[in-house]
Amino acid sequence: MASRSSAISHPPAFRSVARSVLLTLPMALWSLLMFTPSFLQSRREQVIGAGIVIVFMTTLFFFMMRTGSTYRWRRYFFVALGFLFPVGFIAALVVERGTMSIPIERMVSGDTPFCFMVIPMIIVPAALTRTLIFPGSILPTASNPHSMAVMIGLWLALSLVVGKAWCSYVCFFGGIEEGFAAVARRPKLRRLDPRLRLFPWAMLLFIVALSAALFEPVYCTWFCPFKTVTEYAAVRSVETAIQMGIFITLFAALVIVLPLLTKKRTQCAFFCPFGAFQSLFNKINLFEIRFDREKCVDCTLCRSVCPTVALSAESIREGKTLLNCMKCGACVDSCKKSAAVWHLKGTRIAFRPERARLLFLYGTWAMATMFGGSILANSIATVVHFLPWK
Amino acid sequence: MCIHLRQLAVFLFGRLVGYLLFAAIVWSIGASIPRSWVARSWIFGGIQLLLAAALLVYAAGWPHRRRAISDPSARLVQIGNPLRPRTSGALSLGFLTGINLCPPFLVAGVRAAQLGSLSVALLFFVFFFAGTAIWFVPFLSLGFVRRSPAFVTVARVTAVLLACWYGFTGVSILLEKVVYG
Repeated sequence: MASRSSAISHPPAFRSVARSVLLTLPMALWSLLMFTPSFLQSRREQVIGAGIVIVFMTTLFFFMMRTGSTYRWRRYFFVALGFLFPVGFIAALVVERGTMSIPIERMVSGDTPFCFMVIPMIIVPAALTRTLIFPGSILPTASNPHSMAVMIGLWLALSLVVGKAWCSYVCFFGGIEEGFAAVARRPKLRRLDPRLRLFPWAMLLFIVALSAALFEPVYCTWFCPFKTVTEYAAVRSVETAIQMGIFITLFAALVIVLPLLTKKRTQCAFFCPFGAFQSLFNKINLFEIRFDREKCVDCTLCRSVCPTVALSAESIREGKTLLNCMKCGACVDSCKKSAAVWHLKGTRIAFRPERARLLFLYGTWAMATMFGGSILANSIATVVHFLPWK
Repeated sequence: MCIHLRQLAVFLFGRLVGYLLFAAIVWSIGASIPRSWVARSWIFGGIQLLLAAALLVYAAGWPHRRRAISDPSARLVQIGNPLRPRTSGALSLGFLTGINLCPPFLVAGVRAAQLGSLSVALLFFVFFFAGTAIWFVPFLSLGFVRRSPAFVTVARVTAVLLACWYGFTGVSILLEKVVYG
């Protein structure tokens, strides 16, 4: 079986340079619009960060247009986002507090930055008791601009547009494991029980039920692997020490070791409850990936390259992906028979797939630029700020 | 239609009776335990561990394997037969489903056992009944999920995760008692 890196082929000249530039122009303008405020700032680091991100995002989009492939170029952005997000975030925490841990007093005063991972947990308590069980502030404050209202509004709007593509274009955690998954040339661990993909649903049920019962965001307090590279409750007791041990163990296993061994995004595919929740948006989202059964030769290459195990033999026979498809484009790019295609719901299979891809990418890349791009710019500004020769 | 509504009301009444009876029993057991936290911590630590064990039993699918619950006696459950509506059948079925020790019911029972007074425990189960009777009505049609292996697997794994949680909290309570006295 061919490795993923060799399996995903890229047509060298899908479009002419002039046509690709023309198609990239709207995205370049969008990037400029997004980062204009940064250019008006007096801090040189911010200007440098914004400039790099505009060039980076526009160039990647140009190559998506030019080559006709999606996965490879998206991965450059996504991995950069995953590895740079903790840099900016941790630096900001250390500058502000002197530590990555958040003291209980800051939580009580609602200063915890809001993370979208908590959304499935807050719904039931909010619906039943009008209580928000996350220690953040609903509206932006001077000390906490990442308010819950803004973040939830953004998430909802974007999820309706792109569905589970959120997990491969916005989530600032997934890029870390995608980076590790890209390291090995071939997977050392090939046989994965397909039932493992049901585990995120069990995890979702578990944390929703427990959060409603205990009135606390259980996943954040006990199970989030990414606490290791963001922030966590200060270790002041045996309980918080156990929590920290769980965070580090899960991070090491699911985000580093298993992606290295399997070349899959194992945390996303086999653990993340938010990802399971986000899958539901694929039901109401316009964009999807389908399989043209007349062209498909059942070579299973798409299954082997899918980073989140979102394809099964049955689903391919039915011409569909599973519900947990993140629309990363790996299967489409790898298919040598062009049987895997981007698809707009309501149209017939393989009806102008490139047009469906363009419509999807304009929305998704605009979202990635706005959300991930600003994180990247901020992190690059932080790196520039700490450069020794500056 | 009217007969069906009456049968449904009888069924729900039987279910409510089952709930309240269970609430009264578990609260009485909880109240018979000495009031001081020092003594209660042993009991509630143990209860959490028992709950964890019960959840593991459910996860293993033991009750359903031993008895074909999904295929009960037709005479007992003929509550919707328009020719021979059986009030006793509806009542007994409601009562039996009311005292069915499913995992959420067990968790609610542990909560009721820890409440301060019988009236609060009964009220808690009245709301629990309202939740299962009304709130979940839209989900009644999802009974087919029982036939889906994926749903059953997810439910069982969730039960295992909850068992781990309650096992952990039970052990924590007992350890705290051992260390701090």
